[in-house]
Formats: sequence, structure tokens, C-alpha cells
Amino acid sequence: MSFREMSAWITLTSVLVCFGVYFGSLATGQVRAPSFATLHLLLLCVSALVALQIGLHAVAARFAPRASRMLKDEREQLIQMRARGLGYYALMAGVLALAIPGHMEISKIDLLNFALLDVVVASLVVSTAQIVMFRRGI
Amino acid sequence: MSRPPIANQIRRLRFEHGEMTQSELAERIGMTRQTVAAIEAGKYSPSLEAAFRISRVFGAALEDVFQWTEVG
Repeated sequence: MSFREMSAWITLTSVLVCFGVYFGSLATGQVRAPSFATLHLLLLCVSALVALQIGLHAVAARFAPRASRMLKDEREQLIQMRARGLGYYALMAGVLALAIPGHMEISKIDLLNFALLDVVVASLVVSTAQIVMFRRGI
Repeated sequence: MSRPPIANQIRRLRFEHGEMTQSELAERIGMTRQTVAAIEAGKYSPSLEAAFRISRVFGAALEDVFQWTEVG
């Protein structure tokens, strides 16, 4: 597995875990927005995401020190570009879908959470697309 | 996903050049081993620049390394 593919796996799993905890807590009613508990949980999850990303990438770089320092080659750049293109479509679809909760009687905080979910889903689409393209070839 | 109609002789040429590994070839053309493996397997068509770099490593003409295989 190349360093870039490993990086995509790290991003996918860390985003899934950290925002899974956040949105899972919201969905199950363990925390209720708007509240300081929600804000604190969000800050905790984002901090955990940053720490996980840095830590796991540092570990991955130790296993592939040369690959981690190399610039992306043309295939890796193409994969990144196509994956980001797909992520953009997911983001735009999510923005349009925001009109649905936007027309319902929900708070601005909930609407912000839907927007955050849109960004998270777009990020997951980018990482997943990268992994698929690394595996299947382009 | 359909494969591009381009065949290549990289695997044969690597073995004819002292059993060069994919990693060695990748290092000489400034790419990752995974990209060389994808080119060799016909899963990725390299840019013209990369194709020339590969040809130069083997001291071969471009058409001796890559061939257009589509019929018709």
C-alpha cells in the first residue's frame, strides 16, 4: 500500500470515528443542541481528529519515510483531482439538500449541524474515492 | 473500468536490464512503485513525459516500450 493510499485510509477512518461519535451522540439524544455540552463535544471531536491525523500520519511516515517526503506523482495527483471532483458533487448535493431542513421548524444550530454533516460526508466521499481509485486503478 | 488500448513491454525490459525492480524504475523516473505497477499492468496510461522517461531508462524508442493495440 502506498503512503498516499495509507493517508486516505487514515483520513477516512479518523473522520468516521470522530464525527461518528459527534453525530451519533446527537442522533441518540446523548447531547442536545443547542447546549454547551454539544459545543464541548464538537471541540473534543475536532481536537481528536487533528491529533489522530497527526499521530497516524507520523506513524505511517515512519514506515515509509522516503514515500512520505516524495511529491505526489502524476497518477496520485490525478486520483486526488478526480476524488476531489466527486467530493465537490457530494458537497453541492448536500448544500441543495439543506433546503429540506431549512424549510422545517428547526433551530439554526441544527441547520449548522446539517451543514457540518454535509462537509463530513463530502470528506468521506473524497477519501473513499481515492481508496477505490488506488485499488482499482485509473 | 475499461483499460486503455495501450500495451507495454516494461516488465520484459526490466528483466532484460538486470532484473530491475519496479522500485528501481520508479526511483529513476520520479514516481512511486505503485504507479509503475499500475502502468505495467495497463491500469494507468502515463503522460507523454513519463512515457519518454521510461523509454530513456531502457534506452529504447517510445514505440518499443508502448504500443497502441486497438484494432480498427
